[in-house]
Amino acid sequence: MHFALPPRKTSHPPPYVPRSTRLPGLRKTRLKLIALAGLAFLALVYLITRPSSGGHAARAQRAPRGNPPVVLVTVLDHSKYTKAYLDAVKENRRQYAEKHGYQTLIAQVGDYDLKGAPFSWTAVPAVRHALSKYPDCHYVWYLDANSFIMNPKLKVEEHIMQSSRLDELMKKDFPVVPPDSIIKTFSHLKGQDVDFVVTQDKEGLSPGSLIVRNGDWAKFFLETWFDPLYRSYNFQKAEKHALEHIVQWHPTILARMAIVDQRLMNAYNKGAKEALYQNGDLAVRFPDCETSGGKACETETESFVQAWRRLFEIS
Amino acid sequence: MSLSRSPSPIPGGGWASPGLNIASGRSSPTRGFTGSSGTPVMWESSRLKKAGGTGYPSFSTKNQGFFVRHMRRFSSSLPRFSGSPYYADKEKLGRGRWSVHNVPLLARIWGIMSRMNKKTKIRLLILFLMLLSIFIFYNSPLVYHWRRSTWLGGGQKFVIILGANVGGGVMDWKGAREWAIERDSVRNKKKYVARWGYDLEIVDMSTKKRYAHEWRESWEKVDFVRTTLRKYPKAEWVWWLDLNTFIMEPSYSLQSHIFDHIEKHVYRDINEYNPLNITHPLAEPYLDAESQSPIGDGKASSVNLILSQDCSGFNLGSFFVRRSVWTDRLLDVWWDPVAYEQKHMEWAHKEQDALEQLYISQAWIRKHTAFLPQRMINSFPAGACSENGNDTRIHYNEQDRDFLVNMAGCEWGRDCWGEMYNFRELSYYLNRTWWERFKEDFLALIWFKLTGQRVKF
Repeated sequence: MHFALPPRKTSHPPPYVPRSTRLPGLRKTRLKLIALAGLAFLALVYLITRPSSGGHAARAQRAPRGNPPVVLVTVLDHSKYTKAYLDAVKENRRQYAEKHGYQTLIAQVGDYDLKGAPFSWTAVPAVRHALSKYPDCHYVWYLDANSFIMNPKLKVEEHIMQSSRLDELMKKDFPVVPPDSIIKTFSHLKGQDVDFVVTQDKEGLSPGSLIVRNGDWAKFFLETWFDPLYRSYNFQKAEKHALEHIVQWHPTILARMAIVDQRLMNAYNKGAKEALYQNGDLAVRFPDCETSGGKACETETESFVQAWRRLFEIS
Repeated sequence: MSLSRSPSPIPGGGWASPGLNIASGRSSPTRGFTGSSGTPVMWESSRLKKAGGTGYPSFSTKNQGFFVRHMRRFSSSLPRFSGSPYYADKEKLGRGRWSVHNVPLLARIWGIMSRMNKKTKIRLLILFLMLLSIFIFYNSPLVYHWRRSTWLGGGQKFVIILGANVGGGVMDWKGAREWAIERDSVRNKKKYVARWGYDLEIVDMSTKKRYAHEWRESWEKVDFVRTTLRKYPKAEWVWWLDLNTFIMEPSYSLQSHIFDHIEKHVYRDINEYNPLNITHPLAEPYLDAESQSPIGDGKASSVNLILSQDCSGFNLGSFFVRRSVWTDRLLDVWWDPVAYEQKHMEWAHKEQDALEQLYISQAWIRKHTAFLPQRMINSFPAGACSENGNDTRIHYNEQDRDFLVNMAGCEWGRDCWGEMYNFRELSYYLNRTWWERFKEDFLALIWFKLTGQRVKF
């Protein structure tokens, strides 16, 4: 059905009728523009939100908050020392820790399963234990049982571990094992990269007093040091020689280690002059005093015990 | 000398004689045969014989191909171009008339375009642009650069290290089979790398005096990983591959296969598949909660080493390490003289056993190690780990289209080259294009049904 002519338009168009039902702002051209922009936006979103293949950001390690700032670790061996002596040691650590808001971790020989290795190895898992028990600490200072802290005023994190201070203190390009190891500490090492501070006596590294900075590296270092194959190897001086071994064979460990002067944290009560304890030094050690019997240690250290008790009372 | 069939009449009348001056349907290379009508009529075969030893085969009527055999039949059945013999006259008649064929091509296209309406033009333009972009993206180097760039495809984040030249060097010479294995393996990796924009580092595993002196043969892997990380500063993951491996499915990218969803594919808790019966997790009282946890911190970002386990423990024929300080430490402590001195009699697989030892004793290693089901990166052929028959966790399965096959241990009494060849052919077969499938599965099949002959197109 159709007509020959189209119907006429009405002569009286209704007033104010919009030309189309659409919103007046949305012209066809504008719609196209909006569609294009939307497409571009979606493409951008796609590019950004794609799973970044293998590109997961390096794990942000949670920085320890420094609570407590330092943990003191000591391992006690009741079979080698008298009880009175060990009580004095404990008291010494406790008082020093209290003064600066530190914590102590006093471990007993036999606390950790050493799989038949010499008991001196206990120091290593003890330090590792301190890192687990105080995950927010900044540093762990291990000081073995035949030593006393003599200067209550010095703080570990200021006296030694401050990075600017370490820059001055550490010995660079220095043979790791005296007198002439071909392995030397790195000459371009910076204080802020140091995670492990130790001293060296005339025989070699002296792990009777050492400081580690809490972090992934410290865990790696302590666990590697404690490797069962090192424990079973019969190093002549157990963990001491194992430490010298890993430091010399594994550059990732050497690159985080600083050797400092003995008197900073490991002064001896006898022996070479530069290592000899002087008043005001942080700590004193009596190397190998326990070899001549527990009683010998007690008598050898008597004057020092009186000295630190007095110094602690004053300050 | 005699023809196998008599000359047949040509439709226009008369006889067709092969070798005669008229078009015989054969275009043989007739040197010195001018083809002018002045030469005496001559059989081609006798002429060739007279020419003597020119290197061309003598005339033969053997089946030289489908087309040649049926040429005459085809040509005679084609419709005639012109019924009348006066071809030249027809040309005259057409002269001066308008003809489509006189207009140049461009002008003709222009004419079509101008007569087209605007909407059709735009649609055609869009179609053309789409085809063009498909072409640019898929048939030009653009797709390669897209896949390679770190922020689009991310191909530069992956480097494959292929340990080539095994056992060569000072120890012995390589035979033809060894060369063939190496050639195929290298080509396979090169193709894969070119497809996805990764980098390939082929390293020389030949026995070196340097390592023999330090007793650390087969710890070269460690050094190679280290130098590769240094050489490719954008690389995030390094994939070690032994020579006797073959990537069966080059269409899988590492990203889609593993790394887009690491956490879904790997298992951190070794108890899931534990052929070595390693006590996991470590329960030492001095360790922190994360070290005592069976899955470390459980995040994908903490995975730094990905390997697979076969029937007898760790397998380092195919493994991934990520660039990280952790990896530096692992590569550093992997070889240790004290450990080696105590264990070298037990460590038949050297660096592999050393890694197992480290994993067993060190919590920091366990925290960052993850395992993939073996068949994701390291399927074995039926000959390897075959003591207990076929194991669905270990052995290659064609139906599942496993990614990579590792012919581990084939040099000990198995046929390396045979296995490599079979897997190569299988890989090609499985990854045919649709056109190849059409030809081989459809056309060839029909041809076989019709004629009983198997053909290869």
